[in-house]
Amino acid sequence: MTNQTVIKVGADATGFWGKLKVALARRTEGRGVALFIVIASFVTVSQPLVFTAYQVTLGRIALIGLVALGLTAVILMGELDLSVASTLAVSGVIMTTVANQTNIAIGILAALAASVVISLVNAYFVAIVGLNSFIATLGMLFALRGLALVLSDEQPVKLENTDFGIAFGQPLVGPLTPRILIFFAVFIAIQVFVSRVKAGREFLAVGGNRQAAYDAGIPVKRRIFTGFIISGGVAALAGVVNSLERTAADPTAGSTVLLASFAAAIIGGNYLKGGKGSIVGTLIGAASLGMLQVALTISGVQVPVQEIFIGGVLLLAVLTDPSSLRAVWGSISTTFQGIKNSLAKQARD
Amino acid sequence: MRKSRLVLAPAVLLSAAALVLSGCAAEETTTTETSAATSTDSGDAAAETFDVYALLPQGTDQAYGTTYLPEMEAVAAELGVNLTITNSQYDADKQASECEIAVAAKPDGIILWPAVGDAVRPCLEAAAAAGIPVTVTNSDLFDADKALSAGFSGPDTYGQGVASAEIMCEIVGDAAVSIIQLNGSIGNSTAIDRDNGFTDTVAANCPNVTILDEQNTDWTKATAQQVASEMITAQGLENIDGIYAADDSIAAGAIAALEARGVDAADYFITGIGNTFMGNPLVAEGKLDGTVFQSSSWDGGNAVRLIHSVLTGAVSGDRELLLMPSVKVTAANATDADVAPEW
Repeated sequence: MTNQTVIKVGADATGFWGKLKVALARRTEGRGVALFIVIASFVTVSQPLVFTAYQVTLGRIALIGLVALGLTAVILMGELDLSVASTLAVSGVIMTTVANQTNIAIGILAALAASVVISLVNAYFVAIVGLNSFIATLGMLFALRGLALVLSDEQPVKLENTDFGIAFGQPLVGPLTPRILIFFAVFIAIQVFVSRVKAGREFLAVGGNRQAAYDAGIPVKRRIFTGFIISGGVAALAGVVNSLERTAADPTAGSTVLLASFAAAIIGGNYLKGGKGSIVGTLIGAASLGMLQVALTISGVQVPVQEIFIGGVLLLAVLTDPSSLRAVWGSISTTFQGIKNSLAKQARD
Repeated sequence: MRKSRLVLAPAVLLSAAALVLSGCAAEETTTTETSAATSTDSGDAAAETFDVYALLPQGTDQAYGTTYLPEMEAVAAELGVNLTITNSQYDADKQASECEIAVAAKPDGIILWPAVGDAVRPCLEAAAAAGIPVTVTNSDLFDADKALSAGFSGPDTYGQGVASAEIMCEIVGDAAVSIIQLNGSIGNSTAIDRDNGFTDTVAANCPNVTILDEQNTDWTKATAQQVASEMITAQGLENIDGIYAADDSIAAGAIAALEARGVDAADYFITGIGNTFMGNPLVAEGKLDGTVFQSSSWDGGNAVRLIHSVLTGAVSGDRELLLMPSVKVTAANATDADVAPEW
């Protein structure tokens, strides 16, 4: 019997439908895609402006998604990086301050270099010291927030080359602004790294079973360092992009980006415990969230109500996970079975 | 079969969510249309209707917004202005994205309340390029950006700082006193203007008042209490004679910090701004020596009146200014009806 089953699966996997079935079974983006379709359908009917002004929607998706893409690198390994919000703020302040004293290119390099240092400290505490990444990066979140305020003298830092900032926010290729192009470039880079490069593919192994990854000879600590550098670097890039587009760096920036980034990753099917997920999923999650936010904004829906919608979508994404559904279904079945049994017992008595 | 169920279940759930969302959106649209229809019937002023985006950094999630918004919506209905209101929660990046959405929607006008004054230039440039007039509410733009807006309505934020300082100078008299200063949130133009108004006036009118230290808050009582407590510890309670707070909520936090040290706040020189539900009773009790009346309903209503005037061509040419009077509130008039707190 067992042999027959094995032969059947093997035979299915060789055909088109078999291959498709196996490929789909391995993917985690199913719920994200379903959610995306529903939200896109709703938006098409209720707020078509979301699509007609697609460059604006893409801008919002890039705003949410850029940090989320980097964050996914550490989530795949079962780690968290809460410090991305403050990394975004401090890198913006560093970029603007240095740019005002030298030039913008040096400012950008300084911000990215700072993010590498931040990431190395985060990774050191997680991989070498063995601290829980939630705690280590929470500490860094507060420390960097303070650093951003100190460096900026508790004021937004105005970019002196305002014309460059204004120009940076203008479309560069067709209707696409540099922010959107950078977002897609980062998506492609991380996607290729995670799916095509050996070191990137090992992220999932590290997140799936760390001990097994050690036993298989995967340099786990080095992978954690790499993941945090990607996460911090992309957050810094987001800070640079935001500061250039706004022509000023706000030391309190990033207040809403942290939760939105996690939401995008979760909606896209990434497991916070690691081992399952994808960069494509995060892209889908960011797109769903971005479209929903733009539609709600155009509708004039107030923030508290928007948060109810977004929270509801997030809950749906989590609850519709197959294992959650099985658990809910099992719980309901058990309850009904218990009621049925007690009614039967009463009838017998 | 099980897998099919597992795939179908989320699809059904999500479809249900979509229906709910659609229902809400429809409800929202109906409300707006009803407002417009009512205004059309109401009189001459509403003969022409306008679509306006109001890009605000707060809404019903903050005390000021809860009374600012109803008046804004009421005046909009009266004048035939269809408002789409956003709330960036003081996040400059979020407000910039909302501004992009607003410009793409091509409304007749935009009302802007800057979340961070330094960061709104690209928004103003984009609106100007699209030919959409922008008026500013509550917190005015920095001088370099003012030419990109058609007008400002709101409190005279610098004047409020001046008025609060004048109260301080009056109650202090010629005595040499030392105070600590609690400002609003970082980069907020209201906070900066009030700070400048207060410090300029103290330096000019009562140089006997020394400002020992100043710190920012996030406008809330809880944060202000914490910051004030830390400043008191740093400076020493015995060295502090008074407190200037950029807002009554901040003043309430500072008073709570003093009382936590077992001292009577009435023994200190304390001034605030706002005359809020929190601040007014403190003035009446003598704990807060004075504050400056700010009407949130005036602010919300006049934001719409100003953009309407711009859109109808009632004002043109020079940048229009609608400044709220900065009425001083002390124990002598705290219970008067004309300065009854609104928020």
